[in-house]
Amino acid sequence: MDELELFKKEWQKKGEDLPKLSYEEIYKMLWKRSSSIVKWIFYISLIEFVFWISLDLVATLTGFRPQFDFPNSDIFLWSMYAIFYPVILYFIYSFYKNYNRINTTDNVKGLMNSIIKTRKTVKQYVWFNLIFFFLFSGILYLLLFKYDPTFFDLNGNESLNFYMVLILSIVLTLLFFSVLIWLFYRLIYGILLKRLHKNYRELEDLDL
Amino acid sequence: MKKELEHSFVTSLEKNQNIVHKICRLYTHDQESHNDLFQEITIQLWKAYPNFRGDSKFSTWMYRVALNTAITLYRKSKRQVKTQDFDSVMFRIKSDPYDDTQDKQLNLMYRAIKELNDIEKALVFLYLEDKSYKEVADTLGITEVNARVKMNRIKTKLKAIINP
Repeated sequence: MDELELFKKEWQKKGEDLPKLSYEEIYKMLWKRSSSIVKWIFYISLIEFVFWISLDLVATLTGFRPQFDFPNSDIFLWSMYAIFYPVILYFIYSFYKNYNRINTTDNVKGLMNSIIKTRKTVKQYVWFNLIFFFLFSGILYLLLFKYDPTFFDLNGNESLNFYMVLILSIVLTLLFFSVLIWLFYRLIYGILLKRLHKNYRELEDLDL
Repeated sequence: MKKELEHSFVTSLEKNQNIVHKICRLYTHDQESHNDLFQEITIQLWKAYPNFRGDSKFSTWMYRVALNTAITLYRKSKRQVKTQDFDSVMFRIKSDPYDDTQDKQLNLMYRAIKELNDIEKALVFLYLEDKSYKEVADTLGITEVNARVKMNRIKTKLKAIINP
């Protein structure tokens, strides 16, 4: 007889050497806290949402945001809010929708898929914040250079090289933050989702 | 109402706990992790229980949630050390005492299965539980043909491991 068939027969008979938990022992477990990766992803995502929104709120509430003086600066700031907050709300809604779709009674591949999708929403959210922050700052700087050079203690007669260095430093700062966030993702989600990605790839390969 | 739900859940799980223990044994290497995974599976089953409609058997429904937890949701603890000690006592075969060769073969097979990756283990587990390829495919989210092809490959792989 085939070894696996023999093993199957024994496997189905098996039972007496397995642990046997009592009703009370199982009952107690119902109230224990889950430590599943979905819970971790939920908490990390929540921190990320709160972090980026609070950056703006804190700046507004503490009066840290400097006053700008260029034509239509109010319209500029309000249009920034008009773009920023609806997009943020869309991300939160989409995160909520994807998170709710995570269902342990789904099939293995479906469950992995919805976890990956949920995480992707948060990843896109963070990139959106980062790109928006730098685009907005970039345009703001350009407007300030043009209309209010005194904001930077400039007299408006700086050489081209000066501006080149300035632009370069802005780009380098963007790169620095991007790398930092990328590393953060590699670390946090790398630890959490390494196994999931490996298993997902395995399932994908099966269906090729 | 809640008490009733708790009672029916715990009673059903107590009756079918062997399924969960078998999964825990396949996916963990020591008693502590086994208990951890058992607890996490219980929590996930309990969370999903209000949506269990009873149109399938409790045990059938359990397979999905339990395997999903073992493969995807469970975070292996850092303390987990790979050890063979637990494995050797884990599959005591109750065959005739003089039939030593058969015992050895079965133990070898058990160890070989434990060496497989998470997805392969799930396939073998469902095969050992005598599930049809349709059920295997539905549980994993792959096609029935691919479930069959993969299972045949695993069989060949296991054979090669135990008969080098």
